[in-house]
Amino acid sequence: MAAIEATELSKRYGTLIALDRVDLTVEEGEIFGFLGPNGAGKSTFINALLDFVKPTHGSVSVFGQDCQADSVRAREHLGVLPEGYSVYDRLTGRQHLEYAIRSKGADEDPVDVLERVGIREAGDRKASEYSKGMAQRLVLGMALVGEPDLLLLDEPTTGLDPNGAAEIREILREENERGATIFFSSHILEQVQAVCDRVAILQDGSVVAVDTIQGLREALGGGTKLVVTVDRTEPSILESIRGLEGVETAWLDEDGETVEITCRNDAKMDVLVAFHDAGVDVVNFRTEEASLEDMFVEYTGRR
Amino acid sequence: MSWLVIARQEAWLTATARSVRLLAGLLVLVCAVGAYVFPVFDPGPHTTAHFGGYVSGWLGTLVPLIGLVVGYNAVVGERRSGALALSLSLPHGRRDVVFGKLLGRLAPVVAAIVAGALIAGALVVYPFGELALAPFLAFVGATITLGVVYTALGVAISTFVATKTRATVAAFGVYVLVVVWTELEAAIELALASIGSPGEGVPTAVEVLLALEPTTAYDRIVAGAIDPAGSVGDAWYLDEWVALALLVLWATVPLAIAYRRFAGVDLP
Repeated sequence: MAAIEATELSKRYGTLIALDRVDLTVEEGEIFGFLGPNGAGKSTFINALLDFVKPTHGSVSVFGQDCQADSVRAREHLGVLPEGYSVYDRLTGRQHLEYAIRSKGADEDPVDVLERVGIREAGDRKASEYSKGMAQRLVLGMALVGEPDLLLLDEPTTGLDPNGAAEIREILREENERGATIFFSSHILEQVQAVCDRVAILQDGSVVAVDTIQGLREALGGGTKLVVTVDRTEPSILESIRGLEGVETAWLDEDGETVEITCRNDAKMDVLVAFHDAGVDVVNFRTEEASLEDMFVEYTGRR
Repeated sequence: MSWLVIARQEAWLTATARSVRLLAGLLVLVCAVGAYVFPVFDPGPHTTAHFGGYVSGWLGTLVPLIGLVVGYNAVVGERRSGALALSLSLPHGRRDVVFGKLLGRLAPVVAAIVAGALIAGALVVYPFGELALAPFLAFVGATITLGVVYTALGVAISTFVATKTRATVAAFGVYVLVVVWTELEAAIELALASIGSPGEGVPTAVEVLLALEPTTAYDRIVAGAIDPAGSVGDAWYLDEWVALALLVLWATVPLAIAYRRFAGVDLP
């Protein structure tokens, strides 16, 4: 059974279309990244799963339970770090976790959870004194309570320093090894790249790509970027390189002696041979992996 | 039992809030002062049954205030701050949230009424008064019901509106109506007399309308069923059982309407 199954999920606010017929299936056991620029509709999608937002069309279910008609039962599967939450100012960190434990009918020790998310020493302080990062850790702790089948996290690393973000990713991996499905949104590419099995890219309310990182790379011009420094070049030479099998693009950098080529991995040698045949000396060359950044720009047209 | 988890947390949060403690303390104080001066200013008989009629006017002003203040921020406050997103991320339904919050916020209101009644009862009985237990318990029950009505109205406002400003304005407006309403009948009679049609009294339709308001209903319950010195009119709509039914409607219908709306909106 799919962990998340969205069918033509749509949400319209007046004339603004926040989600446009989104079809998405997340399989059980996956770490799934939900990627897109701010305002693309990521939070609207997650909020529809939580029944904060009522879809105007289509449906979404979690482990077969409809998120609108059977909202509470759907949420029994979830551990959530929602968007735009605030903690209870007058409760301590420990009291927050006790609330989550009672709410989910779990029997964990709040101290263990505090320890796990790295705020044990702050557990008896009022949450109003917490920094943004500590509050984020606390709510992640609430999400972990009760070993949920699906962790649903909206921008989980917001407010955390790089170390904190790495700790969170480590926790997500542990949870995934336990058997949990992980679904998280981010507008930061590295977060997604580092842990995800698959990603969806959302743009203006529509899913524009769903694939593995590797698959996205291959879809983007073979996944390799070749950077070649030459002693001279001519437009005709670039034309002939663009005509080679497996080459996506080739362009001359502003310095006039570096040519960048994106191509399939097995086409690299052909490119170098083509330079040689044209009587051009290759002074230096290196290959780069096409980054997610390149892909992201390619798909969303934004930087 | 999802609502119970919420009610428990809400009761703790409400009972530890300074404004609530202040109002609860004020209620207990008013009960105590009322009971202290009752034998001095009232001709008697000094029983706990007649005492109900003596303080019902004071409580009819204070209990609505407490109920509305305790209730009006219950849902909309967390909705705006984002704490509601935490609760609704857990497996709680929106119904559990509204019902749990109502119960949790009622706990300190009821506790304050009971504490006030215990102290007042003791002061009335000792040293010269007389305990009439059944009417006194009925009086405490009626006052608790009044507290439930206005806390439920406050929570209903809080559930219905989307901003704290609107909740504040609505709760304030309701309270002004409460205060004005009890004076309306006298004002209308005075107006009728001044235009020269005394004796006929207030028209029936107006009288029915005036009788709908919960505080006047509470007064009729106390005067008709609890205070031996009190009396209500003969008309059926002034009957104390009708008044009790009205209170039950006020405690449930507005909240049910507010919940229906809340259940279907996008949050926050």
